[in-house]
Amino acid sequence: MLTFIIRRTLWTVVVMFVITVVVFFIFFKTPGVDPARALAGRNPSPQTLAEVRAQLGLNRPLVVQYGLMMKRIFITRNLVSYSDQGQLVIPEIFAAAPATLSLVFGAAIIWIVMAIVMGVAAARLRGRIYDPILMILALIGLSAPVFWIGQVANLITQGGLHNSVFSWVPPLGYTSFTVSPLHWFTGLVFPWITLSILYIGFYARVLRANLLEIQTEDYVRTARAKGLSEQRVLLRHTLRTSMITFVSLFGLDFGALVGGGAILTEVVFGIHGVGFLTWQALQNLDLPTIMAVVIYGAFFIVLMNALVDIAYAWLDPRVRPA
Amino acid sequence: MAAVAEQVTSTGLRSASAGRNPWALAWRRLRRNRLALAALGLFLLLIVVCAAAPLYAHDVAHDGNVLGPNLNGTTIVHGKVVPVMQEGGGLLKLGETPIGPTWNLHHYFLGADNIGRDVAALLLYGGRASLQIGICSALLCCIVATIVALIAGFFGGLADAILSRLMDVIWAFPVYLLAISLATELLTHSNGIQIGFLHVSATSLWTPTVIIAFIYVPYVYRPVRGQVLSVAGKEFVEAAIAQGASNYRLIFSEILPNVVSTVIVLLPLMIATTILTESALSYLSVGVQPPNVSWGTIISDGQDLLYTRPWVSLAPGIMIVLTVLALNVLGDGVRDALDPRAKLRVR
Amino acid sequence: MRQIRPKIAYLAGRRTTMASLAGLAVLALAAAGCGNSAGPASKSSTGAVSAHPGGVFTILANSSFGVADPAQNYTLEEWQLLIDTHDGLVGFAKVGGLPGTKIVPDLATSIPLPTNGGKTYVFHIRRGIKFSNGQTLTPSAFVTTFDRQFTVPGPTSFYSDFVGASKCSVKGCNLAKSGGVIANDSAYTLTINLTAPDPELMDQLTLPFAYAVPPNTSPKLTGNNVPPGTGPYMWKSYNPNTEAVLVRNPYFHVWSKVAQPNGYPNEIIEKYGLQVSDEVTEVENGEAQEVFDGDQIPSDQLSTLNSPQYASQVHVNTLTADWYMALNTQRPPFNNLEARQAINYAANRTAYVKIAGGPSLAVPACQILPPNFPSYKPYCPYTTGPQTTWSGPNLAKARALVKASGTYGDKVVVDSTNDQVGTELAEQMVSDLNSIGYKASTQLLSGSVQYPFVQNSANWSKWNVAWSAWYQDYPAPSDFLNVLLGCGSIHKNSDASPNIAAFCDPAIQKLINQAEADGSSNPAKAAALWTQIDHMDTQQAPWVDLYNPKQIDFLAKNVHGYEWNPQWYILIDQLWLSK
Repeated sequence: MLTFIIRRTLWTVVVMFVITVVVFFIFFKTPGVDPARALAGRNPSPQTLAEVRAQLGLNRPLVVQYGLMMKRIFITRNLVSYSDQGQLVIPEIFAAAPATLSLVFGAAIIWIVMAIVMGVAAARLRGRIYDPILMILALIGLSAPVFWIGQVANLITQGGLHNSVFSWVPPLGYTSFTVSPLHWFTGLVFPWITLSILYIGFYARVLRANLLEIQTEDYVRTARAKGLSEQRVLLRHTLRTSMITFVSLFGLDFGALVGGGAILTEVVFGIHGVGFLTWQALQNLDLPTIMAVVIYGAFFIVLMNALVDIAYAWLDPRVRPA
Repeated sequence: MAAVAEQVTSTGLRSASAGRNPWALAWRRLRRNRLALAALGLFLLLIVVCAAAPLYAHDVAHDGNVLGPNLNGTTIVHGKVVPVMQEGGGLLKLGETPIGPTWNLHHYFLGADNIGRDVAALLLYGGRASLQIGICSALLCCIVATIVALIAGFFGGLADAILSRLMDVIWAFPVYLLAISLATELLTHSNGIQIGFLHVSATSLWTPTVIIAFIYVPYVYRPVRGQVLSVAGKEFVEAAIAQGASNYRLIFSEILPNVVSTVIVLLPLMIATTILTESALSYLSVGVQPPNVSWGTIISDGQDLLYTRPWVSLAPGIMIVLTVLALNVLGDGVRDALDPRAKLRVR
Repeated sequence: MRQIRPKIAYLAGRRTTMASLAGLAVLALAAAGCGNSAGPASKSSTGAVSAHPGGVFTILANSSFGVADPAQNYTLEEWQLLIDTHDGLVGFAKVGGLPGTKIVPDLATSIPLPTNGGKTYVFHIRRGIKFSNGQTLTPSAFVTTFDRQFTVPGPTSFYSDFVGASKCSVKGCNLAKSGGVIANDSAYTLTINLTAPDPELMDQLTLPFAYAVPPNTSPKLTGNNVPPGTGPYMWKSYNPNTEAVLVRNPYFHVWSKVAQPNGYPNEIIEKYGLQVSDEVTEVENGEAQEVFDGDQIPSDQLSTLNSPQYASQVHVNTLTADWYMALNTQRPPFNNLEARQAINYAANRTAYVKIAGGPSLAVPACQILPPNFPSYKPYCPYTTGPQTTWSGPNLAKARALVKASGTYGDKVVVDSTNDQVGTELAEQMVSDLNSIGYKASTQLLSGSVQYPFVQNSANWSKWNVAWSAWYQDYPAPSDFLNVLLGCGSIHKNSDASPNIAAFCDPAIQKLINQAEADGSSNPAKAAALWTQIDHMDTQQAPWVDLYNPKQIDFLAKNVHGYEWNPQWYILIDQLWLSK
C-alpha cells in the first residue's frame, strides 16, 4: 500500500513537471509579447529594451529561464506579472482564491443535496411518471451551456425584475465575506445555482443508475428478505454503497473547480476568482500568471486524482498493480 | 470542468461469435425506444434546417451577404421602412440600438445584432458551424483515440506505458485552460496549424475542430483501451492467435469490431460535449472567428444587448440546449440498445 | 497616447496608455478649445449652494491602472490622480476649456527662456513647499526624478536629449554628475542642459514623469507605492485589485491658484474591479460620484442615460483622438498609393460611427489631425460632397482606383482586437474591402497583444490593415504627424514602433523637419507647415481614418463644478459635492 502511494505521488510530480514545461513552451515564443517590453515602460528605446532583457535573464538559454521562473514561483516566491510590474503573481492568486472557494463550496453543497434528493426519488419512484420527468430535468441541466444559464439568470435578476422581485440581488461581482456577509451570500446565490445545475443533472443520473444496479445485488435482496422496510434498505444499504462512486466522482470535479475550472461561471457573473484570473492572464498572454495558475490548478486536479486513486486502491486491492 | 467522466467495468458486445448479428439486435432495441427515436429525429431535423440556411438567408440577405454588417440598412415593419440601427432618443441621442424582433419571417424575425445582421439567419448559419465543429471534432477525437487505444492495448508493454502516460498528462490539464491556451496561441501566430502538407488557417472552422478533438482524446482513450484489453484476452482472439493470424488481421478483424460498439456508444455523448465546448470557446472569443458565426459567438455578441435585445442571446442558447438534449437522449438510447448492462457513463 | 480596450466590458483593464516619441517640434500651443458640454447644467449654477470643500469623491473603474510608480505609469487613469498629488516644474493650467491648454509655472516661479542657443534652461524653484511626508522640497528632488526615468526605467525617450542621458541605463544614472540636470539647493535653482534645442521640452515637463519626488526615493521601481508628492492630496493606499485612496496632504498650501489650486473633496477614492454597467447603476443611485469607463457603457445603458432625468449629469466632449485603420505600406496591395486611396474612398464612415455609438459619440474623419487641434484645417478628399467634411463613400471612384492599381482580387488581412467594438470595426472594414473587389478576412487578437503585434516589423507579412487609436499626449501636431507617420518612428523588429503603417515619405519628412526647426523661431510659419503636412499625409493615405471619438462623463447628481480640461479631461479635485 505504501509503495503504491509513493509511486502515485512520484508520478504526480512528473505530470506536474511535464505540464509546466508544456505551458512554458506554448507561451514562450508568442509574437507581440516581449516581456521586456511590458516591463520597460510604454515606449522604450531599443537600448533600454536590451538592458531590461538582460536584467530579466531573457537572453539566457530557455532551460535557464524555465529554471528561473520555477525558482521565482517556488523558492523566492517573487514572480512578477508581465502585464503589471507592481503585481506579484502568487499573492494575486491567493487573493483570488477566496472568491473561487466561496463559489465552489456553495455550489457543491447545493449539487450534493439536490442530486441525492433527485437520484433517490427517481430510483424510489421507478415505474411511475416522476422518474422519467426527473431524469429529463437532469438531462436538460446537463445540456445547457453554463455561461448561457448565467446570462439568463442575469437577465432575470438584473433586468426588468431587478426593481421588484429581485431587488435583493446585488450588482454582479463578488463581495468578500469579511466586508458584508449578507452581500456575500445574496451575490452568490445565482452563481451557486448556475454552477450546480450541470452537476445536479450528472450526479442525479449516476446515483439513480447506481441505486438501481445495487438493488439487484444479493445482500440487498437478503436485507429485503429479512423483512426490512424498503425505506431502510434504500438508506442503510443501497445509498451507502452508491456513495463510494459518488464521493470519488465528487473529488475529481471539486478539484477541477477549485483549481480554476469555474472559469465560465466566474466570467459571466464577474466574480474575480482564480478562473477569472486565468482568463485574464490568457488574454494578456501573461506567462508568469498563466504558469502560476496552471500549477495551482493542475495541483488540485492531480491531488484529487491521486487521492481518489489511493482511496480506490484502499477499497479495492485489485487496482493496486496498475 | 471535467466534461466526461466514466468508469468502465465491462462494456461492449459479447464476442461476435455469440451467435445472432448483434447490430441487428441493437437496432431493433433502439427502434423500440420511442424517446431515443424522437431525439434522433430532432437532431436530424436540426441538421437539415441548418444545412438549408442559404435558402432562408436568400430571403433576408442584404447586398447578397448575410454574415456581413448591415449598419446602414433598412427593413420593413408593418409596411413601413425603418432603419435597422436605431439612434438613441432623448436630448443626447447616445448609442445605436439594433432593431428588435419583428416576428415576421421575412424581415428580421428575431431582430438584428450589434452590426445589423438578421439574428434568425445568423442562427441557422451559426448552427451549421456549431454542428459541423461538434460532429467533426467528435468523430476525429474518437478515431484518433481508437487508433491510439488499439496500439496501446494490443501491443502493450512500452507502447502502452508511453501512450497511457501521455494521455495522463493531457488528462491532468484543466480542459478549458488547455483549449484556450491552444486557441489563443494559434490565433496569435495567425498561420494556423500546419500538419505536414495540410494547412489550416487560423480563422478556419477546422482550428477549433482540431483543438476540441485533441483535448478530449484521453476521455475516449481510457474506456476504449480498457475494452481492447478485455477483448484481447477473450478466447476467440486466443483462438485466432493459435491459428497463426497476423497482427493486422487480429486488430482489424477480431478486436476492432468488438471495440467499435464502445465508440458508438460514446459518439453521441461526445458530440454533445464538443458542441458545448465549442460554444464555450466561442463565448470567450477564442473559438469560431469572423466571418463565421456559431451559436457561441452569437451569445457572446448578445451579451452587450442582454437587457434591451435579449433574443440575440436567448435564441442560440435554446438551440444549443435542444441539440445537446437530443444528443444526450439519443446517447442513452444507443447505450441501452448496444449494451443494456453497460456501466459506461459520459456526461 | 494609445488606448487599449478590453474584450467583454469588464474583463480586461482599460489601460488608457499613452505613447509618444519626443520629437523635436514646435511649442505650438495654439487653439485647442475642445469642451462643449452637452449637459445644460454643467456650470455651478445648480441651486443656491456655493462651492465648498468636504465629502468623499468616489470614482468607479473597471480595472486599475497597473503599476503606480509615477516614473513608469503611462495611463490617463493614474495621471488624473497624480495631478492632484504631485507637481512638476511647470504644468497645464488646472482649469476648463481653452485656458486649460496653457502651460503655467508650478514648482518653478516662472517659465524660463532658454539660453546657450536653446540648450540651457534655468528654473527658479519655489521655497517653503513641503512633500506630504514633511520633507522640504529642494531643487535636488528633480535630479532624482529625472535619474529615475532611466533607472526605473520609464519611457526614456522623453528626456533622452538631456546631457549625459546616453550614459544612463537601468543599472544607474547620474545626470547631476554629467551636467544634464544641476541642482543648486542654496540658490534654489535647477539647470537643465540639452544636447540640442527642444521646442517641446515644456510640454514634456508637464507630464507626470517629471513630477518632483523626495531626493531619497529609491532609484528602482517602487511598484505600487507612490512616492510622496507636493500636491493638495497624498496617496494613503493603492491596491490594484481593490482601491486607491487619496487624502488631504497636511503640508499643502496654495502657491499658484492656476497651477495647483486647493481641492474640494476631503477624500478621493477610486474603486476597481466593477463592471461598467454597475458603475453606471451606482452613480445613478448616488452611491458613487463618477463612472470612469464612460467610453465602455454598454449600448443597453446608453439608452437609459438619454432620459431627461440624467441630462444634467452626462457630459459629452470631443476628444483630440483618432480611431483609424493603418494600411501596411510595406506589403502589397497597400504599398500602392491608388489601392490605399481606393479603400479611403470606399470606407463607409457612417457605419463606423454607428459602431462607436452613433453621431453623438463620434465624428467621421478623413485626415490625420483631429478637430480642435493646433494647425487643424478641415480636409476630406475621400468623399462625394465638398472636400472638407465627410458626407458619404464614393464607391465608383474607389472601384476605378482598384482596377487602375492592378490589385483587384488581392487577399487582405484585417487585424483588430477581439473585443466587441474591435471585432465590429474589423467586420465593417472587411465588408468595405470586399465591396471594391478585395478578398478580405479578419485576424482578431486580444487588446494587449494586438498593439505590439502590429507594430513589430517581424509581423508585416501577417496583416494588411490594422486597427489602432491614438489620443494626444499634449497639443502639438508633431504628436500625430511625426510620432505616427514620421520616418524616425519606424523601429525594425521592435514591439515599440508607433508608425504602424510603416509609412515614410522623404519629401514629407523634410517638411516635418522644417516645421520642427521653425517651431521656436517662427511659430506661425511652422503652424502653416503642419497644416500642409497633415493634408499631404492625408493624400498619401497611409491610414483609413475612421472617426474622432467623444468622451462621456457620467457624474452623480450631487457633483458640481464640472469643467473639461483638454489635457487631463475631468479635473477630479475641482469638483465639489452637495448633500
